Amino acid sequence: MKPGMLKIITRSLIFYRKDAVYQVIIVLLLSAIITGSLLTGTSVRNSLRRTSDQKSGNARIIVSSGQRFFSSTLADKLSVRTGKRAVAILETEGYCSNFLTGSTSLNVRIFGVNDEFFQWNSSDSLSIMPGDAAVNSKLAEELELKPGDEIIIKFKPVDPLPSNAPFAPSKDDESSKVLRVSHILTAESGGNFSPGISQVIPKTLFINISDIDDGIDGKFNANRILFSSGTADSVLHPLVEVTSLSDIGFTVRRSEKTGESEIISDRIFIDSILVSDILAKIPSGSPVLTYLVNSFSFNGRTTPYSFVASIPSSVFPGISDDEILLNRWLAKDLEIEPGDSVVLRWYDTTFGNHLEENEKTFRVSRILDDNNKYADPLLMPDFPGISGSTTCSGWDAGVPILLDQIRKKDEEYWNSFRGTPKAFINYSEGKKIWGNNFGVATALRFPGSLAPQDIEKSLYGSLDPVDAGLTVTDIRKAGASAASEGVDFSSLFLGLGFFIILSCLILFSLAVTIFFDTRRNDVRAYYSLGFRNRQIKLFLFSEITALSVIGAIPGVFCGLLVNRIVISALNSVWQGAVQTNTLSSDFSLVPLIAGFISVITLTAVVIYIKTSSFLKRMNVSSEEKSKSRFLSSYFFLILVTLVLTIGLFLSAVLYRNAETILFFAGGVFLFGLFILLLRYYYLYEPGKKEKDSFSVRRLSKKYYNHNPSHAITPAVIIAAGIFAVIITGANRQVVSDKMLLPEGGTGGYLLWGESAIPVKEDLNLDKSRKDYGFESEEFREMSFVQCCRVSGDDASCLNLNHVTSPPILSVDPKYFIDKGSFSFVSSLTKGNNTVTWAMLDEKPGENTIYGIADQTVLKWGLKVNIGDTLKFRAENGQILNVIIAGGLKSSVFQGNIIIGSRNFSEFFPSVSGSSIFLIDGNKKYKDLYINTLQERLSSYGLFVQSAGEKLSSFFVVTNTYLDVFVILGVFGLILGVTGLGFVLARNYNLRKREFAFLAATGYTQESIRSFILTDQIIILFWGIAAGTISGLAATFPSLQNDGDIPWNQILYMVLAILVTGIISLLISVRRITSRSLVSQLRRE
Amino acid sequence: MLRLENISKSYLQRGLVLDKLDLQVNKGDSLAITGPSGSGKTTLLNIIGLMDHPDSGDVFFNGSSILSYGPDESARYRNRNIGFVFQDHLLLSHLNIKENILLPLLASGNHRNDFKEKAEYAGVLMEKTGIASLGDKFPFQISGGEAQRATLVRALVNKPSLLLADEPTGSLDSKNAYLLGNLLRDLNEELGVTLIVVTHSSDLASMMKLNLKLDNGRLVK
Repeated sequence: MKPGMLKIITRSLIFYRKDAVYQVIIVLLLSAIITGSLLTGTSVRNSLRRTSDQKSGNARIIVSSGQRFFSSTLADKLSVRTGKRAVAILETEGYCSNFLTGSTSLNVRIFGVNDEFFQWNSSDSLSIMPGDAAVNSKLAEELELKPGDEIIIKFKPVDPLPSNAPFAPSKDDESSKVLRVSHILTAESGGNFSPGISQVIPKTLFINISDIDDGIDGKFNANRILFSSGTADSVLHPLVEVTSLSDIGFTVRRSEKTGESEIISDRIFIDSILVSDILAKIPSGSPVLTYLVNSFSFNGRTTPYSFVASIPSSVFPGISDDEILLNRWLAKDLEIEPGDSVVLRWYDTTFGNHLEENEKTFRVSRILDDNNKYADPLLMPDFPGISGSTTCSGWDAGVPILLDQIRKKDEEYWNSFRGTPKAFINYSEGKKIWGNNFGVATALRFPGSLAPQDIEKSLYGSLDPVDAGLTVTDIRKAGASAASEGVDFSSLFLGLGFFIILSCLILFSLAVTIFFDTRRNDVRAYYSLGFRNRQIKLFLFSEITALSVIGAIPGVFCGLLVNRIVISALNSVWQGAVQTNTLSSDFSLVPLIAGFISVITLTAVVIYIKTSSFLKRMNVSSEEKSKSRFLSSYFFLILVTLVLTIGLFLSAVLYRNAETILFFAGGVFLFGLFILLLRYYYLYEPGKKEKDSFSVRRLSKKYYNHNPSHAITPAVIIAAGIFAVIITGANRQVVSDKMLLPEGGTGGYLLWGESAIPVKEDLNLDKSRKDYGFESEEFREMSFVQCCRVSGDDASCLNLNHVTSPPILSVDPKYFIDKGSFSFVSSLTKGNNTVTWAMLDEKPGENTIYGIADQTVLKWGLKVNIGDTLKFRAENGQILNVIIAGGLKSSVFQGNIIIGSRNFSEFFPSVSGSSIFLIDGNKKYKDLYINTLQERLSSYGLFVQSAGEKLSSFFVVTNTYLDVFVILGVFGLILGVTGLGFVLARNYNLRKREFAFLAATGYTQESIRSFILTDQIIILFWGIAAGTISGLAATFPSLQNDGDIPWNQILYMVLAILVTGIISLLISVRRITSRSLVSQLRRE
Repeated sequence: MLRLENISKSYLQRGLVLDKLDLQVNKGDSLAITGPSGSGKTTLLNIIGLMDHPDSGDVFFNGSSILSYGPDESARYRNRNIGFVFQDHLLLSHLNIKENILLPLLASGNHRNDFKEKAEYAGVLMEKTGIASLGDKFPFQISGGEAQRATLVRALVNKPSLLLADEPTGSLDSKNAYLLGNLLRDLNEELGVTLIVVTHSSDLASMMKLNLKLDNGRLVK
């Protein structure tokens, strides 16, 4: 019957079970919170992954051409080559309106599909007939649609020729259709199909491909190919092998005039990289660049609107870059001779709508016959607005054509020779002056010995599709990676619940202290019997750890409940934080085990510290001497803290640019000072005179003198809770007046607009203002900053996933430089706003530019720093390096990467029109602007809101987190007050002897209650004062501003703590009755 | 066996408690130390038992200085050589009397055979002290006198050479005090255990072979 250690521990636990129950409850709560937080992280991650999978449907690998199009036959060829079913679809941007109600939904993802898509994507053999549309449940709910209803959709037209390409026709930039809703698709039937990284369920609309693209012989323009299996590599290699010229928009034909074969593009201009690729494969080819010039001028005579071809020098040898060959018709019209100089004028269309007329003088080298060997009408590119026109005056060249300059003879030339060039220059010169972001050639010509089919054959399977803008992505993998690397809700909720965790640990520590107090005699016995220090420590440590285990086991299962509660809150009242209601609770063993281990580890650390300090105290022989020394150094610590606190506040006043952090640090130190002072008050032994004047009051203080933690712990919890709530309240983000200033998050702009379909016009131009009726006085001050956008995954705080391809916005930095808009948290230029913005126009290297984003996006969304390089795919498939030059202070641009508009045009030339607008104007007409803009640009699906509202939409997430923190903080406070009650209960229990003897010596029940209450009230008030004063001091800068401090909330909370505290004190002190004391005396 | 030389000990508020105190105790002695409250009697016992350290002076046990012992050596010294009896019995409430008595064996990590032998020895002592029937009882189920006898058995179970008793009869009635005093004397004589008893009780002191009084920090006859 040897009393083994395990037996002693077990017996002890059973014997002291009443004292142990507090610890078990605290540990249970702690493990529930920690495990619940960890489970929440797992649940959110899994939910994100599920949403991503659901949105991907059956798609695993996606071939995308971005802004460009390819032939749907490519999918058929890939199917054959890979042996995997591939489906081509056409995705475009647009918006949708309920025809009956007129209600409109913006940002709808429109998919042009054929029957094959639904067979492939779901088990339902759904068929959408031309004129019909299938909408997903979300869109149907938003527009209140049911089968049979009619809708209007407007979308960006499918045209291989970008609308901002040189001489692209100025036709309407949006297409519209009236369709009948044939199906409402649920998530299960693939309705939420929408590849991309976001937890937000999209609004989708599926239409028959023929409603969006005419197609020929069953072939249509597509921009996505979907595979349900395989890897990116297993698709990329076959893609190279099967891609033909026609698949990527090229046509090979023979020129009857010259007998040559030529490659032309449905984009008119051919990318320089493809020119190089093709000529590398067939070196006998030569590029040709034919351009429309506005005029030839010589000696007061002018010939308008003619085509000039820049051709290889081998065609007409011997001409230099400054020389030009004219045909006889032109020479005659200008009355010009060889050796004369002719001035050419043309529109430079490099930067979209900003047309500039350039000119160059050439020396006439020779006059050619009208029927010269290169008098080839095919040299004129097939500009859609020009080539089909019967008259010159009927051209729609996308640039201003002055009809009064077109003469009868010009019309005759057009009728006779169509676009046959009237002049020729060297290709090298033509490339220099007419090469643009869309390409450097309008055709590639090959010797007649090479038949078109020979060219097609030799280039089949040898061109890199990446150079044509095709990319292959494993979207499942990307989705899974984005979900797993996204917002870590485990850490987030551990952080938000930090105050509860801290409260639990403090209470646990206090419970352990009190538990040890009841074991003093046991420890004395162990010592006297010769137990070694580490043996005793092991006894105590094992006992309390066993209690932790007992509490932690049910606690981790209670974590499942916490997880359920948190997930339902995130789906409902806290939806602002996650922007979705599709999260679900998941069970996973790993968080449970991790939670259990974490709790045991955390409590073990507390137990170890408490055990060591307890045994150390038991061993101290010269307590008085030590205490004296301790008090001296403690007083010194208070002095140092005081000096640091004052220093920090003074520094905050002196250094206004760092006042926020300095005031905060000062507040934290002040908090510490309050606590240190309270501890000192209870540790301090009064002087001899006072000591001699023995009083009941001193008797009470004496108790805390020996047990200071019993006073400090509740005070710390109450103070920390109030401090946390005040800090949180002060950090609530609202749109303040400062943010509406130019240096604020709105950039000083009045309105923010987003269009579902890019707006082609420059709305600042007089013509546009006239067209849209913005000429009246009210609109005089209205101006626009227009930004083009390359779609991407939202990188703002609204997206929980880790995003690597955010949307790219183009901005002309001069607007922001002139206005002094926005502020940088960090930048490569160390805070020089002007220089940082100006960097957007720079190109520090080949395919390398600078970019700017919100600091929060950089830090949390993209996880990069200033100076880091983000890699994007430019439109031509090449890697575009974007060096982060600056991190913006919270701005309306959150979620996007901003690059300079010049660089944007170069790397994304096909993105035509603006999708994002910052609008300035007279504040008093704000509502008028909003209504008018939305109405007059409704065909683009323009949505306008105040810039402040846009900015505040990003605050929803942060503010929701802060709300969560406050709620959990208040819960922690409840714990604190509960702790106070717990301490009181234990306190009375431990001191009942003392009270009994006081009663025996004649003290009344009321006087005993009174002296007990005094100290408790001191602790309560001190905790409230410490938390409130230090919290207010820490947030002083916010108080000065018009931050949305929830004063009422704070006031009510303080009052609630005060009232609850006093009531609980009064109730608990009533436990001390004469009868209970007398019964205690009897026992003594 | 035990020699204290020039032992001094002071506290900040109580001042000098032991002043260059000398003490020589031989094997088999029984010594009673009396003196007023606060005179340093318990401090002296604690120093002998290495539960406290003097400001100056030295303590020799069996000819060796023991003040330089570290915490583990001190614990071993107490376990093997010293038996403690306090005014409060200091029995662990959650262990029964038998387990409480055998507790020191756990601290010394006795071999199974040693344990058996000492457990039998404990039985003998329990028989001798009249608590043989109380082995399964818990401390709160027995009287103060019985608890104090159990403490005495626990102090002797490891066969210490020196028994230190701090006011062992302080919490007992006169009858039980008398019984315990006799028991201590008998054990001293029969087992040859050296005994140092700190007490206010002149009756208990009179049962010891030697009587010393602690006065102004020094031991006087």
